[in-house]
Amino acid sequence: MDFGFSKEELDFGKEVFDYLQKEMTEPVAVECRHWRAAAPGGPYTREFLNKVGNKGWLTPSWPKEYGGLGLPIIYSYIANEKMDYFNIRPPISSSVAGPLIMRCASPELKNKFLPRIARGEVHFALGYTEPQAGSDLSAVDIRAVKTDKGYVLNGQKMFSTHSHIADYHWLLARTNSEVKPRHKGITLFIVDLKSPGISISPIWTMADERTNEVFYENVLVPAENLVGQENRGFYYIMEDLEYERTFAVGHAEHILEQLIDYAKKTARDGKLLSSEPAIRQDLAQLAIDIEVGRLFFYRLADVLRRGTDLMFEGTVSKIFTSELLQREAFFGVNMMGLYGQLQEGSKWAPLEGNIEHLSRECVVESIYGGTNEICRNVIAMRALGLPTG
Amino acid sequence: MDFTLNEQQEMLRTSARQFLTKNCPKTLVRQMVADEKGYTQELWEKIAELGWLGLIFPAEYGGAEGSFLDLVVLLEEMGRFCFPGPFFSTAVLGSLPVLWAGTREQKDKLLGKVAKGELILTLAFNEPGTYYSSNISTKALEDRNGYVISGSKIFVPDAHVAHYIICPSRTNGSAGSERGITLFLVSNPAKEITVIPLKTVAGDKQSEITLDKVKVPKDSILGERDGGWELLQKTLQYAMIGKCAEMVGGAQQVLEMAVAYVKERQQFGRPVGSFQAVQHHCANMFLDAEAMRFITYKAAWKVSQGLPSAKEVSMAKAWVSDAYQRVVLRGHQVQGGVGFTEAHDMSLYFKRAKAAQHLFGDAKFHREKIAESLVA
Repeated sequence: MDFGFSKEELDFGKEVFDYLQKEMTEPVAVECRHWRAAAPGGPYTREFLNKVGNKGWLTPSWPKEYGGLGLPIIYSYIANEKMDYFNIRPPISSSVAGPLIMRCASPELKNKFLPRIARGEVHFALGYTEPQAGSDLSAVDIRAVKTDKGYVLNGQKMFSTHSHIADYHWLLARTNSEVKPRHKGITLFIVDLKSPGISISPIWTMADERTNEVFYENVLVPAENLVGQENRGFYYIMEDLEYERTFAVGHAEHILEQLIDYAKKTARDGKLLSSEPAIRQDLAQLAIDIEVGRLFFYRLADVLRRGTDLMFEGTVSKIFTSELLQREAFFGVNMMGLYGQLQEGSKWAPLEGNIEHLSRECVVESIYGGTNEICRNVIAMRALGLPTG
Repeated sequence: MDFTLNEQQEMLRTSARQFLTKNCPKTLVRQMVADEKGYTQELWEKIAELGWLGLIFPAEYGGAEGSFLDLVVLLEEMGRFCFPGPFFSTAVLGSLPVLWAGTREQKDKLLGKVAKGELILTLAFNEPGTYYSSNISTKALEDRNGYVISGSKIFVPDAHVAHYIICPSRTNGSAGSERGITLFLVSNPAKEITVIPLKTVAGDKQSEITLDKVKVPKDSILGERDGGWELLQKTLQYAMIGKCAEMVGGAQQVLEMAVAYVKERQQFGRPVGSFQAVQHHCANMFLDAEAMRFITYKAAWKVSQGLPSAKEVSMAKAWVSDAYQRVVLRGHQVQGGVGFTEAHDMSLYFKRAKAAQHLFGDAKFHREKIAESLVA
């Protein structure tokens, strides 16, 4: 049992934190605030991530040959937590596409993509969800037909966030529509989002964030852009989802600091909010929840450093921390009372309307990356061995 | 970071579980709930032989020189089995302050016998109307021969069988003041001490005690005169973690019982555990049980490093108290009517969860302590 960080780990965390704080200019901060679920959300964040990538901090535990720092896995988690504090989620490129490329793609794809991903030069957008394939990803129906020149793709993706900014689509497509069960006919591709035949149109969320519909019309994808083996795509991403579901609590901690500060400075009818017993109880509960969320998060590093695969541990972290963020945001706006409804731009808006925005944005936390109901099914099956229906 | 037990702790856990499976069946637990004394001499002697009572004592007192983390591992298993008897009172509440603050003579007199199973200790903290606060009004007046103690204590665990009761008493100042509290080792039974057992939900043995001019010698002071509050607080911190560990073990057992039941129990022609409504209850129990373990281990690790850990300990006690209750209630929900019967083991865990959540401060009490540090 050891719940401490080594001196090297603490120093690393401080170095990353200090750098991020220094480089976090107002335009980057604004983009991060508005595009939390979508890093990089815009040109400033892209540039920022490139700087962080050049330090090796997007992928500290990757091997040096692929642009990593060759450090133990916990360093990735430390960097992730520090970035999360500044509202930067790990980009899809380094957190989803990169690890899978490293695990199952051809040497050519590894060499082509991994060093650039590590440097934060290229970005990916997820292309899993379709109108009829949400929680049930085996219903993916975008068609990829093999021809002499490569694969020709037709169909539609949904809720493909930041595909209008990213360079590549990390795409799940159907290569066999006869096979049963359906998930045996799905293949993973890397698609250049500038390919002819792709059109992208925005969908605006109730948190004023942009996500997209992406239409494929006879889009030609070279065969070498197939990741791993044909018809294995579903298996790859199912394994990978467990790794994708790692939710740091840096942001939750930062928000709590701001809420405490607000409660200490704000009086209502002559009484400081921080002296209200009900508010004190909730603040303390959030601090406890953050402690739990952090333990769930670093437990992942502890499992991985032993060379063990994640089975359900990421899912545990995802369920807990997504719901923690929602409790925190709703507590925040409720504590602010009438002022909680004020949006950024109003001179009366507490914390620049940040919590008001978070209270809308957090709704999606328990929906994406596998709804929390799907996640609880995963726990029931993998951790508890309960029978499927 | 390392979230797991070391090899020795794994061995301790395995051997404790084997021993308790054989020697601490639920039939015994139920008998002990009904029994006036609440434990059997036979089991008490066996655990002394195993070295559990002196698990963290130095070898010179017949101890195994284990760490507090080892004790946490053991308590977790005891919680899993609803272990009956004055182990917690003796090994945690009574022994720790003696280990830390006892004089050479006090240690010689007490610890060796504790390790051998010959002495039972306890601590009397609360008084009628107080809740783990410094509002201690039990008085110790100095005279030529030592001190004369008078006052009332309530919710004193195992006072009916304890040979020594550590009794925080006021030697200075008035109720509420942290300065002026002194811990006395009071020999029990005595004609000046009245012990009245309380009828409690879990059937554990707690008593109301009245001290009516109990004469104790000068050398019965444990630690510093007037400076007992710090020692009491430190003891309490370790006790909170120990109690959390028991709850962790209990919750794990409830989860395992519930999961085994829903895999087995058939309705609508299939196991009820195949229904998502039931699965989600189980998943929630699992999340709570995991968090309970980690937050307890973290607090235990932190105190055993000697780092300031009041906040972590309060976080653990608050979380574990609430989460254990959730686990038990969901455990009841998925096990249906049969779990509601008195004969079912769930009834034991339900009642113990209720008792444990209030011991050493409930969730609200600890959240307020955390809040104090947050808004300071």
